Amino acid sequence: MILRKIQLENFRQFMGKQSFPLDVSSGRVVTLLFGGNGAGKTTLLNAFTWCLYGELSHDIEHPERLVTDLVWQSAPVGEEVPLSVEIEFEHEGALYRAQRAARIRKEDGVRRAPSADLKLWVTQNGQNKIVDGPQQRMESILPQHLSRFFFFNGERIEKLVRAEAYAEVKKDISSLLGLEQVERALAHLPKLERKLGAELRKHGGAQAADILEQIETKEEQLGQARREREELRDGIAAITEELGTVRELLLQHSAAGPLQAQRDQAEEQLEKARRDNEKHKHAYQHLIGTRGYLAFVKTLSQQVAGLAAGLHERGSLPAPLKRDFVDSLIEDGRCICGTELGSGTAALRHVEDWRARAGLAEVEAAWQRLDGEVKRVAESRGELRHQLQELAVEQQADREAIDRWAGQLADLEAKVKDIPVEEVARLEAKREKLQARMNDSNQKLGAIGSKIEDFQADIATLRNELKAAEINNAVAQKARRRLDLVSSVDAALREILEIRSANMQVRLNAKVKEVFAQITVKDHYPELSEDFELGLYQKHPDGTVLPAAKSTGENQILSLSFVAAVSQLAREVAQSRDDGSDSGEYPIVMDAAFGSLDENYRRDVASALARLAPQMVVMVSKGQGKGEVIEQLRPHSNHVGVIVEHTTSTAKNSESIEWGGYQYPYIEAGAEKDWSELVEVPL
Amino acid sequence: MSDETAGTRSESDVIAGLDPQAKELLKRVLQIERSRLHLRASDAEAVEELLNAVREVAP
Repeated sequence: MILRKIQLENFRQFMGKQSFPLDVSSGRVVTLLFGGNGAGKTTLLNAFTWCLYGELSHDIEHPERLVTDLVWQSAPVGEEVPLSVEIEFEHEGALYRAQRAARIRKEDGVRRAPSADLKLWVTQNGQNKIVDGPQQRMESILPQHLSRFFFFNGERIEKLVRAEAYAEVKKDISSLLGLEQVERALAHLPKLERKLGAELRKHGGAQAADILEQIETKEEQLGQARREREELRDGIAAITEELGTVRELLLQHSAAGPLQAQRDQAEEQLEKARRDNEKHKHAYQHLIGTRGYLAFVKTLSQQVAGLAAGLHERGSLPAPLKRDFVDSLIEDGRCICGTELGSGTAALRHVEDWRARAGLAEVEAAWQRLDGEVKRVAESRGELRHQLQELAVEQQADREAIDRWAGQLADLEAKVKDIPVEEVARLEAKREKLQARMNDSNQKLGAIGSKIEDFQADIATLRNELKAAEINNAVAQKARRRLDLVSSVDAALREILEIRSANMQVRLNAKVKEVFAQITVKDHYPELSEDFELGLYQKHPDGTVLPAAKSTGENQILSLSFVAAVSQLAREVAQSRDDGSDSGEYPIVMDAAFGSLDENYRRDVASALARLAPQMVVMVSKGQGKGEVIEQLRPHSNHVGVIVEHTTSTAKNSESIEWGGYQYPYIEAGAEKDWSELVEVPL
Repeated sequence: MSDETAGTRSESDVIAGLDPQAKELLKRVLQIERSRLHLRASDAEAVEELLNAVREVAP
């Protein structure tokens, strides 16, 4: 979805019909709009969401006053006032025109929020037509719940990285990165299997019916276990959040704060040591599993080498065919198969060919191969021993680190408990209770995981039995074939979902880091947890990593990095699939792009903006957009404009803004009417 | 399809392991589900559409 133009008619302070171009060209993906406080930047952002989804943000005051006040007041009772927003955009090679319009009859003094439906036209391959179900089509182009990642207020963007938003954000990202369709398929396919199963049961005989019944029972149990697992995971997420809150409160407490900070660090290090230990344990097991046999072939390889060397020396190594033996056949005039080997016969020529091929060259080559292999085995044994020793040392270090950090944690816990402050004791007791619940839930999660694996194995066995069952009826055979097909697609999709889920967090984490590093060069780095908690960390000279204290500006940059990472990843994911997914291209429309950033951060953000998304519509105030911000954005801007505020207020002074060496009106004080005007200025 | 990987198998590996009919059905299933993502229609309609796809792929 790439925006091309927006047109407003009597929308809030934008009186009359006004439009602004938004199209992008190569290397120039930014549309820059300047506007003062109250000029209409937030209104313009809302014009996008109102047109596409009929929604206004919560910070819009008097949403019932959508029509320009002046126009409404001057309209006589009984007259209809037009109100509309129209947006042109490109999507998947088609040109769309979205329009939300209403004609509002002025009947009494009370103003009500107007209701207006979306209309959508599409032009593709020279054909222009109106879209049936326009809101649904809009949802399929960019779902409303995802629009918050692309149309937002820079000052409020930090909400995205707050704890209460994690679960919601995770769900939205799943949708954006193509997981939701897989999840839905996995919800529908079992129902499809039941339908096909019913057909098979009806015509397939007693044996098939019996196996099917067993499969269905197991499937139900499996479904129940999966639901329980989801509930447990949700419960764990809730406990994690509660624990975070308690931890935060302890951290802020004057008596417990320093100990809690140390405990955070100890927990972090303990977690790291456990992860390292797991990693090294797996590496060790993998090595044993794939190359462990080498440990048992020491004498075998020596024996083979010795035996082969002896045979080689004696010239007794077996060859595919021995020359002496062939010579004796030729001399006897009779082949091993009984054929006479008379002079000049084809049979004799054939046997002579064998003789030419048999002999020392082949024996020598075989010996060299064998000798090489035996030597390689010996070398590999050495390598294996070395790698295993290294891993054993690392595991020992991990275990020591685990003991050390666990000991420190226990000491710190005892110290926190000793603090004679009621509030601390209450918080600590709550923390312990939550931790116990967490341990219990994790244990149950492990048990249910094993149960799920057992059900899956049982179902696989039963499916194989069903495949082998004797079925003579043609209808039943067809149903079985289809059922088998659906089962294999179901299994593949389940695996694909796991792959996509695992990758989503890993790839998004890497992308957020990449974008964050493009924006700021601080020694901080972001980290996206498996639960989509986005944190900022700092590596200290002694190697320890601790959460970094975040300013509002850093939170904003973090959120912006996250949004840009989502945008870039959505595009990459969409372009790498050939399953009919869309292009994954979305614009970013930002109000107050530089929000509460200080000057250094503004420059950093400005220099990165053009690289963040395929299209950026950036609205800034004159103060936010001065100096280096303009210099950074100018080369990437395709359109620049000013939202000129015409005001009757005498409290404001007229102001202008400089762009390209010329002055353009920014505030026109002492005007006859209060309204705002979208004015494009030359690049 | 993408080359995302989890553990040792990638999405492409999973798809490569399917026979041609299953590959075709997988593609159709994802297309159907994607086109229905934002519809409020019932599950029964989706299942019916999927069943038709199965009948077409495995007549």
